[in-house]
Amino acid sequence: MDNETHAAGREQPAVRVRDLTYRYRGQDKPALEGVSLDVTRGEFVVVMGPSGAGKSTLCVSLNGLVPHFFRGRIDGEVRINGRSTREGKVGEFAREVGLVFQDFEAQLFSTNVALEVAFGPENFSVEREEMVRRVEGVLGRVRLEGFEDRQPATLSGGQKQRLAIASVLAIEPRILCLDEPTTDLDPIGKLGVFEIAGELKDRDDVTLIVVEHETEETLDADRIVVLKDGMVIADRPAREVLRDVELLEEARIMPLQITRFFHEMGLWQGQLPLTPEEGLKELRQRGWRISPGRHRELVEKDAEREATYGGPIIEAEGLTHRYPNGVVALEDVSLTVRRDEFLAVLGQNGSGKTTLVKHFNGLLEPTGGSVRVDGEDTVSQGVRGLGQKVGYVFQNPDHQIFSDTVFDEVAFGPRVRELNEEDVKERVSEALAAVGLEGYEQEDPFVLTKGERQRVAVASVLAVRPEVLILDEPTTGLDYAEQRSMMDLVRRLNESGSTIIVVTHTMWVVAEYAHRAVVVKDGRVTLSGTVRDVFAREEELRDASLRPPHIVSMGNALGYTVLSVEEMIRVTGDK
Amino acid sequence: MDPFLYLDRDTWVHRLDPRTKMLLLLGSFVLAFLYVNPLYGLGVLAVVLLFGASARVLINLRRIWFVLLMIGVMTTILWSIFGGGTTPLFWFVEREAFLYAVGAALRIDVMIIAGMIFLSTTRNEEIATGLVKLGIPYRFAFAVSTALRLVPTIAATGSTIGQAQRSRGLDLESGNIIQRVRKNTPLLIPVFVSTIRSTNVFSMALESKGFGASTKRTYFLRLAMKRQDALVLLVFVLLLAAAVALRMAGYGGLEGFSR
Amino acid sequence: MVVLVALSAAIYAAVLIPFKGFTIIPGFTEVRPANVFPFVFGLLFGPAGAWGAAIGNLIGDFFGTLGPGSIAGFIGNFFLGFLPYKMWGSFFRRGENMEQNVNSGKKLAVYIAITILASAVCAVWIAWFNDLIGFVPFAALGAIITVNNAIAGVVLGPILLLVLYPRVKRWGLLWTEIMRPEEVSASRLQRLGNLLMWVGGLGGLIVGLIIGVGLYEQGLAAAGFTAGGQGGLGIGLGLIPFLILIVVASFMLGGREQVEAAEEEAETSQAS
Repeated sequence: MDNETHAAGREQPAVRVRDLTYRYRGQDKPALEGVSLDVTRGEFVVVMGPSGAGKSTLCVSLNGLVPHFFRGRIDGEVRINGRSTREGKVGEFAREVGLVFQDFEAQLFSTNVALEVAFGPENFSVEREEMVRRVEGVLGRVRLEGFEDRQPATLSGGQKQRLAIASVLAIEPRILCLDEPTTDLDPIGKLGVFEIAGELKDRDDVTLIVVEHETEETLDADRIVVLKDGMVIADRPAREVLRDVELLEEARIMPLQITRFFHEMGLWQGQLPLTPEEGLKELRQRGWRISPGRHRELVEKDAEREATYGGPIIEAEGLTHRYPNGVVALEDVSLTVRRDEFLAVLGQNGSGKTTLVKHFNGLLEPTGGSVRVDGEDTVSQGVRGLGQKVGYVFQNPDHQIFSDTVFDEVAFGPRVRELNEEDVKERVSEALAAVGLEGYEQEDPFVLTKGERQRVAVASVLAVRPEVLILDEPTTGLDYAEQRSMMDLVRRLNESGSTIIVVTHTMWVVAEYAHRAVVVKDGRVTLSGTVRDVFAREEELRDASLRPPHIVSMGNALGYTVLSVEEMIRVTGDK
Repeated sequence: MDPFLYLDRDTWVHRLDPRTKMLLLLGSFVLAFLYVNPLYGLGVLAVVLLFGASARVLINLRRIWFVLLMIGVMTTILWSIFGGGTTPLFWFVEREAFLYAVGAALRIDVMIIAGMIFLSTTRNEEIATGLVKLGIPYRFAFAVSTALRLVPTIAATGSTIGQAQRSRGLDLESGNIIQRVRKNTPLLIPVFVSTIRSTNVFSMALESKGFGASTKRTYFLRLAMKRQDALVLLVFVLLLAAAVALRMAGYGGLEGFSR
Repeated sequence: MVVLVALSAAIYAAVLIPFKGFTIIPGFTEVRPANVFPFVFGLLFGPAGAWGAAIGNLIGDFFGTLGPGSIAGFIGNFFLGFLPYKMWGSFFRRGENMEQNVNSGKKLAVYIAITILASAVCAVWIAWFNDLIGFVPFAALGAIITVNNAIAGVVLGPILLLVLYPRVKRWGLLWTEIMRPEEVSASRLQRLGNLLMWVGGLGGLIVGLIIGVGLYEQGLAAAGFTAGGQGGLGIGLGLIPFLILIVVASFMLGGREQVEAAEEEAETSQAS
């Protein structure tokens, strides 16, 4: 590139958004309002904000899907490398802006990896030899070299997402926009995606725009843009935003734990550390220490709580499950769940944790060993019988919801068990109250937000009044405030007598809410015990592809396992 | 997720151009209808099975065994009863009718097996590209290959949703026909909703990768009629010619059969 | 649009395949609750529904009813989705609400009428072809396909439409809202086209049955497996005029009026 073009490229921002206001067809409220934003070439910008803030709308505005695919009302403009998105077709902008969506399953469609990656270049009439070259190059960049002949269906979640990124990179766009690329991934998957994002930025002068929820992954960004209610409420250097704890909380984004801890302890904003390493340095500098006495109090409280549990309600002995195609999902698992406890089942995707839990309500039958619920074998009780005792809330509420009104949806369980209408009504009110959706009876479940739909799903399981409640990844896809709200609800249920089992890989949720944890790796239980004990064993967790939350790491480095910012505050000395 | 029927193997059949395979498929229909006599029909079946065996895809037979069986049995029964012949076999069934029935059953099953072999040895993309090479517009060919791809996805979603609803107490087994149809609503609606949501994302992803940006496009998959294809087609044409000649010479028919 | 074709085809095929084992005429047709989909998808997705029905049927064929008759199956099922798509508008006057829902007595009646006609048209194509090449007698296949299609459409269709229409509309997937008026052909002599389709479809079916039955010694109920051959030349040639009528009528029915009506609806509701 000669000097002239280089200079011109530097002057013109890669992305220029000016006063963008957009309403989806049929909606009055704008999804984006007066958004103005510049992104220069080579920058790494992270966009954050609560659910419904307009982050995804912003992404699809960058390549012309808005306004050409969605056909709503648009005011203001978006210029990509100088060209307005109002002119031209979506396909043309695909050369400049590569867009990767959150739902990687829906994006992949080919029978092998090479064809998937080649699809983009095919659309742009790239010569075959060049395509072959690009496929190889791009697969290398996303750490999938040699995968050309693999079937996408056989890849892990993280690999699939990287494949989706590769398929977009093959078109060689100069701007890459990733919309929540790691939300459905386990810790290992997340790490993989962020590592390549970082490499892309460093090596290739690619402009990177990423929408993210996880603050822990945004440390490498140049800038963070915070959206709320369709408007930009902050647009500052990343580290500055990450230190502004109040701003983050207002925008329903989870602040970094280390940062929040020091903020609560009174440090001035500019000084706040962001990572466990920085945090440790700060602690040592200030001479703060953890009080053994107060830590012991925490441990004692755990023990007191454990003493209140009732007898065993679910018992698995030597549980083995082999799928018809030969894959052994679970091998010789033995565990006991006691009444009133709050158990977390941890593990990466594919570890067998969901398979394990599906035995508890009879969806799966053991191929070896046994599972007993309330003393009786699950095989003899059957799914229907067990459904009364063990409620299972699936990860995706849209896999359950089918009624026209919230009332009918929640009433399904009781009605199927042939309760009379009056009892049904009572159960529904009770369940809706428990999840905080009183008054929603006549709403159409399909128009509710994801968080609300999730709560409807929980309510519909609660209406049957099961003793045990199993929740599969209850926090995925929710923003921080919604996650807290959901988990507080679950805690309330536990405190009023339900036994809770949560399957998740969101570590901070486990740390702050669960009492006991079980770690599953390759079909076996590798760790089991109170959350405090389990989280102390960082190396074994890492072995299972899990990482404890930052605040826990920091405490562990000092020799004490602390589970939340509040606990850390309580045990830190000098106060 | 099961990639439908396609089995990724590296056999000479897999390496044939999809157009060749389409022609072979149509040719197999002709072969199937050539003979009335079940003995000759068995011969045709053997040829088809041999073809499938060399492609190592016969394991897919177990997926359609129920249909093959039902069709075989029903056809045999129907034609045995309604066909007429000269030599009585048992009850009012005549021998010729029975033989005709078996022949008809073989004929139908052969075509289905041939179709299954085709789908098992040809990738969706090959089908699409093959159709394009035959003159069909790309968008249409893409719709076909996408439909092929979506069928097992829908089945998988249906299975997950089935589990979710069964956990809530949905009982699909009991009740009369009308009740059972109504009970499928909690199954169908979420399947629709999930599938439509997913295809919406798919549409957006397609456009975001330039689909439809221009009418021209290139193909990663290289399709060329190679020597192998010509050879195979030649052999098949000879086989067909021989079979026809045999039939014309009077073999493969069924004496004494009348409808 | 391309994706909607694939979606319609895939859902149709996905529900056809499990039922292929429950054969009625082995190798040709079976119990088919899935038959409701072409009608509904044709109404909701327009051309995508029609092509989807054709492709979906072909894919389903690979699992139990594959053969030369699949060509006719493709064409026949195309019409199964095509008719609701094109004919719907011709039953309403300008200015009347013609949303593809069945929330009124008239609309329900129109839906049932179209369903029956489409079933007949589909049956005429498939039964004609199969009789012509000597596989199955027209009388058998014609009657069974018409009934098979119509039952699924009439019984299951309204419920499905009532549930799907509002959602599909909200997702912005109705063909009347996706396509622009210029993209859809305008109707020429629409009422005549409507009438011709009836003559072609029902007429073809009835005449075919008469010819077919007349050549047998025993009745329809024996499903044609009785002594006496297929209709032969009588059916083959005799039905051609009806098929021509069907094709001509297809060109006369436009569909543009439905898109225009939808645009007017959208404007009035946005203004309010």
